[in-house]
Amino acid sequence: MKRTELPGLVQALRAPIDTFVRDARVRIVLLISTSGQVLAQHGFTARYEVMNVASLAAAAHASSRALAELTRSGGWTHLYHAGRDRQLFLATLATPIHPLILVSIFDGNSSLGLVQFFFDRLAGQVAALPELASATPSTDQVSFEHDLEAGIERIFSTEGRTAG
Amino acid sequence: MADELNTALDRLSHVPGVRGAMIVEIGTGVPIVEEIEASVAGGAVAALAAALYQRTAEAARSGGFGGLEVMHLEAEHGHVLVAGTAELAVIVLADPDAQLGMVRLETARAVEGLR
Repeated sequence: MKRTELPGLVQALRAPIDTFVRDARVRIVLLISTSGQVLAQHGFTARYEVMNVASLAAAAHASSRALAELTRSGGWTHLYHAGRDRQLFLATLATPIHPLILVSIFDGNSSLGLVQFFFDRLAGQVAALPELASATPSTDQVSFEHDLEAGIERIFSTEGRTAG
Repeated sequence: MADELNTALDRLSHVPGVRGAMIVEIGTGVPIVEEIEASVAGGAVAALAAALYQRTAEAARSGGFGGLEVMHLEAEHGHVLVAGTAELAVIVLADPDAQLGMVRLETARAVEGLR
């Protein structure tokens, strides 16, 4: 999507993401486009953390999709990793333009089932956002770093203004 | 183990008024085995009921009541019963006019099979 469309979309995503964080009791959330634009985040304090996780999530998404194609699995719905203290849930949200990638980290205060359940609700809310229906699809993967920087700048500047 | 779980669920499902039952891993909130009507969102029920059971057990312990034996939720159109061990829970969905004594008895038997 175009950089001019980001502010409206970031603002529109804030409420559904906040609801997801509260209901699913997750600690960390990052929502990015497949081209690396950061659209929402919760729980990060440093830009470099967002940048690293966004890059890794986009890479994991691309690798998983390729693996699904190779094994003729017909795509995947989510990736789940259970660590000792924390668990990672990575899933794609279908939208009218292109999929978005949600990275979520939670601990024993939540569960995979809860995160899945509230993720499904979030998916419905996000898919229905008018801001996404009118956004321009981004097909240029070469602009990944550019989009990543722009998204992080937007997210942290918006949070700074909100906090202030 | 899987056969025993399936047998326990089968017995529960044949109690008059029981709409379905499942055995859920409490930590993940994901069903291990289930015998439930297709119209019921099993995954959602498992996740929410397991989380509620975990919280209720914590509340019981914090309140000095000891371990939670059965959580019984009575709603307008039916009952949800949850009982279990530290790791696994049996979730039963029953009609408003189900034979609750029998449901509780079979639920307790199913839980014994989990130990």
